[in-house]
Amino acid sequence: MILSKIFTSFTFRFLVSYVAWLSLAVFMVLALIYAFIAYDFFAEVHHSVTEELGSLSQAYQDGGEQAVENFVRIHSGPDRLIRFFYFVGDEHLNKIAGNLNQWPESKEYRDGWLGFNFESMLDDADSVGTEFIARSKQLPGGEHVLVARHYADVLNSTKLVAGALTRSMVATILLGTIGGTIVAALSLQRIDRINITLRRIMTGDLTERIDIHSSTGDFLRLSENVNQMLDRIEALMTGVQQVSDNIAHDLRTPLTRLRNKLSSLHENCADPGNREEVEALIEEADGLLGTFSALLRIAQVESGNRRSGFASVDLCTLVSDVIELYEPLSAEKNQVFHTGLAKVGSFHGDRNLLFQAVANLVDNAIKYTPEGGKVQVNLAVEKNVLRIDVADSGIGIPEEEREKVFQRFFRVEHSRSRHPGNGLGLSLVQAVVKLHDGYIDLKDNKPGLRIILRFPRPEQLS
Amino acid sequence: MRVLLIEDDASVAEYIVKGLRESGYQVEHAADGKTGLVQATTEQYDALIVDRMLPYVDGLTIIQTLRAANDSTPALILSALGEVDDRVKGLKAGGDDYLVKPFAFAELLARIEVMLRRQEAGSAVTRLKVADLEMDLLAHKVSRAGQAFNLQPREYKLLEYLMRHAGQVVTRTMLLENVWDYHFDPQTNVIDVHVSRLRQKIDKGFDKPLLNTVRGAGYMLDDSQ
Repeated sequence: MILSKIFTSFTFRFLVSYVAWLSLAVFMVLALIYAFIAYDFFAEVHHSVTEELGSLSQAYQDGGEQAVENFVRIHSGPDRLIRFFYFVGDEHLNKIAGNLNQWPESKEYRDGWLGFNFESMLDDADSVGTEFIARSKQLPGGEHVLVARHYADVLNSTKLVAGALTRSMVATILLGTIGGTIVAALSLQRIDRINITLRRIMTGDLTERIDIHSSTGDFLRLSENVNQMLDRIEALMTGVQQVSDNIAHDLRTPLTRLRNKLSSLHENCADPGNREEVEALIEEADGLLGTFSALLRIAQVESGNRRSGFASVDLCTLVSDVIELYEPLSAEKNQVFHTGLAKVGSFHGDRNLLFQAVANLVDNAIKYTPEGGKVQVNLAVEKNVLRIDVADSGIGIPEEEREKVFQRFFRVEHSRSRHPGNGLGLSLVQAVVKLHDGYIDLKDNKPGLRIILRFPRPEQLS
Repeated sequence: MRVLLIEDDASVAEYIVKGLRESGYQVEHAADGKTGLVQATTEQYDALIVDRMLPYVDGLTIIQTLRAANDSTPALILSALGEVDDRVKGLKAGGDDYLVKPFAFAELLARIEVMLRRQEAGSAVTRLKVADLEMDLLAHKVSRAGQAFNLQPREYKLLEYLMRHAGQVVTRTMLLENVWDYHFDPQTNVIDVHVSRLRQKIDKGFDKPLLNTVRGAGYMLDDSQ
């Protein structure tokens, strides 16, 4: 899981391509180094052979056969680093002096270079390798002079160099990959931390910010920018909320006046037809006032200052009170009403708001479930959370609209026409649940809807 | 009945004063906390309606001051919803009831009447009687014309509240607060369902219905009809 995350991360992929390009570059540099070294080696070989040939020719011309023997002894002794082989022959290539028995059968290369590999040509027994390079020259007197040296040592050296270069390339790639993985994992961890915070912020708590204490450099700047962006979003959101709350507040007073005037009109109304009209108007005004009150109540709950009124609440009693209050409504629709309440101990919260939240859910469940349907309310303890389930067998909410139902005034399309309501019930539930640090979940009850409220369980001895 | 209204919002004050006068009350109005407190201490009223947020002296302080001076005039606290809805605090300060704005006038009127009546009754009763409907508070028994009913605990509480306030309008919110003991907005007619269940039990088969619906306000238990 974590590994696959590392492998799919941008940083890792970037590093893999980086390592690939690095390997290529390293390979090219090493190949160049190899070529230079090899060229130097062979240039040295050629140079030494040419020099030896010159010296041998000089020695022969100066001192004849005897001088060559001396020369060979000095230059080809066992204490010499490189063993040269010398041959001086007459114009028919018969041996005059040297430490080779006969003129080698050789291949001729460019520029008077010869190559052979005859072991049998050595006059002594010790093997010195099989590959030789030689150069010959005909003296003005008609004699042929030849100097040869084996170059296996050169080949060995170049092989060693090539081996070392290959190993260093492997090491480069290996270290690059390991380092890349570690760097990717580290930066992934930091990005993950930012992502987790962002997800939490997206799910609701706009006041949260990315922790910048442990960040440095790019991550610090990124975190700071994200935080500043969040500040702006929060300011805008609060602005919008403030405006809508203010509108609700300001409109409520004239509406109340309107309602009051209507109700005094109602009392002074003699004509029964007009009376009915006025009653309908009052009802309308009450609906509007109810909407404004609900809006303001949500705003009040969201502001969090209801927390000061928190006290110990027995959720079991509270939920059973909701059930007791709403069960007759369900019975009127011939619904099967199931309840399962576990003893959950006390909970710290606002009992009126919690009652309102659960009541809204149960009310909805009954409202949106047809005659003869099923409504279920459960209270249970689940590890560290208290869980309240309100499930029904009604029309449910399409999956793509489940997130939206918490928005103020949002109503699922088909419920608009059939059921009364202001589209604020679930917004209030969400506000209450958040106030109590809880979570709300909408699930498919197949058929119907299942709403799950989860509250952190107070630390206690159970 | 003399009522003192201490309220700084002119339109709300006008509305309350007008409504109460029409209902036969004698109403005086103070527009700020200081004059309100002076008026409340120097004159005798049957009830006070006090807004929580007032200029100079706030509503809770007025009530606390009066209570400290052994003045037990029943007081109803009005609160705007935008303020912290701390009912407990209001009642602890010595308020007798608490009403959140905006409210229907019927709600305010019902509460004032209940408050005034409470003042009159006071003493402990063991038996409630409305026409031929009787409730024995000690034995937890209810009967009408000698015929006993079996009531669920909540139905019993509901009936007890209605009987204690017989002849007075009782609103749905008052029932929620006093019978169910929760302050919330039920959104639907859930109280009506409970009342009609109770009505089934106590009125069915009798010529004269005792539990009546008051349109636009709530319910009333009496034998006037």
